[in-house]
Amino acid sequence: MDGEMFDRLGLLVNFGLPLLLLMLAYFAGNMIEKAHFRSIRRREAENHGFPVVSFDTMPDDWKVSESTMVAGNIVVSLDYFKRVIAGLRSLVGGRIKTYEPLLERARREAFLRMTESARKQGYDAIFNVRLETSRLANSRGDGKGTAGVEMLAFGTAVKFASRFSRTL
Amino acid sequence: MKFVPKQPREGINVSDTHPLVEAGTLVVGLTAIFVAIVLALIFLIEIALYFVPAEKEAELFRDWLPDDLATISPGDERLQQTQLLVDRLAFHWGDSPYEFRVEIDDSEMANAMALPGGLIIVTQGLLDQVESENELAFVLGHELGHYRNRDHVRALGRGMVLSLFFAVATGSDVAGLGLKVSDLALRGFSRKQESRADEFGLAIVYTHYGHVNEAWRLFERWDDGDDSFLDLVTYVSTHPQAGDRVGELKEMALRESWPVEGPTTDLKW
Repeated sequence: MDGEMFDRLGLLVNFGLPLLLLMLAYFAGNMIEKAHFRSIRRREAENHGFPVVSFDTMPDDWKVSESTMVAGNIVVSLDYFKRVIAGLRSLVGGRIKTYEPLLERARREAFLRMTESARKQGYDAIFNVRLETSRLANSRGDGKGTAGVEMLAFGTAVKFASRFSRTL
Repeated sequence: MKFVPKQPREGINVSDTHPLVEAGTLVVGLTAIFVAIVLALIFLIEIALYFVPAEKEAELFRDWLPDDLATISPGDERLQQTQLLVDRLAFHWGDSPYEFRVEIDDSEMANAMALPGGLIIVTQGLLDQVESENELAFVLGHELGHYRNRDHVRALGRGMVLSLFFAVATGSDVAGLGLKVSDLALRGFSRKQESRADEFGLAIVYTHYGHVNEAWRLFERWDDGDDSFLDLVTYVSTHPQAGDRVGELKEMALRESWPVEGPTTDLKW
C-alpha cells in the first residue's frame, strides 16, 4: 500500500464515515421530527375544545359525577446530528436550540396521549394537569446509553353530571 | 369564568433557527477558535525557544528521565556501543550545546526519539532490526538533526497542545473529531521537520564514514515489506513513508555528490 493511498484511506475513515453518519442522521431525524409535528398538529385540531386545565381545585359550580386519573407518557430520543450539534454548543454555552423541538414534541405528545385517553373513556374534561420529566439515559458515562427524555402528563379526568354543565 | 378552547401556540418554546444554520455557525466559530488557540500556542513555543537557548535547555534537563521509560541495564554492551557511536557522531557537530545521553527503551516497536536535554531514546526493537553500524548511525544522526533544529522542544510543545485539547474535548461528544483534526494538521508540520533532520543526519554520516553506503538500507527493508504491517502503521504515523524517504535520501546524496559506495562497519555486539 503506498503512502498516498494510506493517507486517503485514513482520511476517509476519520472524516468520511462520521460525516456520512451525520448526514444520514440529519435527513432521517428531520423527516421523523416533521412527521411527528404534523401528527401532533392534526390530533390537537381533533381534540380542540376539550378542556384541559391546570386548576388544582374545582370551581364550585362544577357538578362532577365521576373522576379518574389519566396520564400520557412518552419517551423520545434525538438523532446523532442534533446530539453532535448540542455537543458543540456545550463547548461554548448558550441555548441548545436543537434540543428545543425534542422537548416541545415530548410535552405536546404527552398532553395528547393523556387527552386521548380521557376522551376514549368518555370523560368531559381534565383538571389539575401536571407535567413530569426525567432524563432516561445518559449518552456519556459508559458511553453506551441513549440520550432520551421521558415526559409524563397527568391529571384528573372528570365526567360532568349533566350535558348542560359541559359548557361551563 | 368562561372556558375558551385554544390551540397551543407555536414558536415560543422552539427557536426558528434552522438546525443547519446552527450547525454551520458552531462549526465555523469553533474551528476559528481552535485554529487561533493552536496558532497562539505554536507562537508561544517559538517565543519560548527564542528565550531559552539550547545551552540553558541542556542544563535544565541534564539529569531528567521520563517517568514511563523502561530502560535496560546500564552495563549492557549495546547501550555502551550506541552511546559511543552518538559521541563520535556528535563530534562532527562541533558547536553542539548538548551532552548527549543514550537510553534504551525495552519496547519492541522500532523507534528513536530526541528528548529535551540531549536524551536520545532508542528502542530495543530498532537495535534488533539494524544490521550494520551505518544503518544505526543514520538513525542517530537523524535524531541529532532534531536537536540541531530544536524540533524536540517543538514536539514536546505540540504534545502539550494536543493533550490540552484532549482535556477540553473529552467533556463533549466531539472529542474524537477534534483530536483527529489536530493530529492530521500537525503531522504535515512534523514531516517537514523529519526531512530536515534526515538532511542533517545524512551529512553527519557522510562526514563520519566518508560515504553514505547503507545509511537508508533499514528503510529500504521496511519499504520492501519484510516488516509486519502493524510496525509500518505505527511508524508511518510519525515519520515519512519509508519509500518516499529512501527516494529523498538518494536524491540528497546525488545532489551533494556523496559516494553511495564504501566499506560498511559491522555492529560491535
